Amino acid sequence: MRGFGSTMGLYEPGRGFLYRTPLPVKAAASLGCAGIVLAWRSPFVTAVALVLTVGALVVGARLSPVRILRMLLPAAPVLVVLALYQGWLQGWTVAFGVSGGIVACLLAARALTLTTPTQDILDGVARLARPFRVVGAQPERFALALSVMLRSIPYLAGLFVDVREAAKARGLERNPRVAVTPLVIGAVAYAHRTGEALTARGLGDHDDGDDEEDPAPAPGM
Amino acid sequence: MQPAEKTAAEPVRSSPSPGRRSGRRWDATDLSLVAVFAALIAALAILPGIPVGPLGVPITLQTLGVMLAGIVLGPARGTAAVLLYLVAGLIGLPVFSGFSGGFGVLAGPSAGYLVAFPLAALVAGLLAVVVLRRQRFRAPLLFLACLAASLVTIHPLGIAGLVVNAGLPLRDAVIVDAAYLPGDVFKNILAAVIAVSVHRAFPRLLAGRAPRD
Repeated sequence: MRGFGSTMGLYEPGRGFLYRTPLPVKAAASLGCAGIVLAWRSPFVTAVALVLTVGALVVGARLSPVRILRMLLPAAPVLVVLALYQGWLQGWTVAFGVSGGIVACLLAARALTLTTPTQDILDGVARLARPFRVVGAQPERFALALSVMLRSIPYLAGLFVDVREAAKARGLERNPRVAVTPLVIGAVAYAHRTGEALTARGLGDHDDGDDEEDPAPAPGM
Repeated sequence: MQPAEKTAAEPVRSSPSPGRRSGRRWDATDLSLVAVFAALIAALAILPGIPVGPLGVPITLQTLGVMLAGIVLGPARGTAAVLLYLVAGLIGLPVFSGFSGGFGVLAGPSAGYLVAFPLAALVAGLLAVVVLRRQRFRAPLLFLACLAASLVTIHPLGIAGLVVNAGLPLRDAVIVDAAYLPGDVFKNILAAVIAVSVHRAFPRLLAGRAPRD
């Protein structure tokens, strides 16, 4: 889990004012950044957003500019193609306005996940979902589903690698059916096991588990 | 904290507690199926693609995960899995391919495709329920279900996203989108074949509930 988190750019402990900023403020800033950039798309707004997000990361999370560039690496191919295309067709200021805006949004989102423990984010989302209780939503089950999902990703990634190795050993690595079917069947089996584990702990059943309405656990698979 | 009072005053959507007529309510296994399939989409989106064919062109498998969620879990749970995946990505967890996550993706060129995913799972799931009532020709029919779902939802909304967010003229956006079509057809075939295997391995997953209505 730990190694997985750090490669995925989730929470990393550190110092700086971003770590002390409350989550709602950071979330509002990140959302506001996306909204403003989307609404205006002018090079000037983009430049301001870029300066603010990079500045926040450098000062507020004490990141080096190299680290910031490295965070953008996975998105780089798409961004470069987009920037070149628009620079060629519509001029370089438009290209800067659009792709720079996307970079600013990505950095703003990363500033949030990097400086907030993942559990706090999940709790925050559950709190946000609370008003939807009126229309029948169950925020606790939603938060539970989110955390089961996060826990499952490393398991599935490992399963994916195993299945591909097995396919390679049989000389079938070019056959995606052989490479993916066991992954999906493994995922369904894993979900059934997880469901049984949740039922055994009284979690995930209908009314947040604190009603005695449905005491008998569902009959397994 | 008076949810009971409020639900009583809000009979419009009949919050799931009173009514059992809209199918069975979700138990813990349904919840974890939704969560694990959201994780499966994330894993397929993050991991490097599989080299395919003699040229070994890698394909990313994100849309494969979306279609599988629809035709393996059915419309309700499938759509919920895709929505959960999108919510996780939008709140900043890096589960989108390339673009790592956060609200920024809504400004990116692929936003239209992301918005279309839950609809695609819904349409594919609805069609799959019909297909799985019968025993024969399941794979080709599931393939057609996936293809219809992606042509009705993913491609139009994807093109719209390219026009709005990347500023492409409509004609160019259609051409860019068309480049994804062959891979899409291939992934839909793959999804149909895999789903048939999965339904054979877990017969009660979806087929067991279909004849009830």
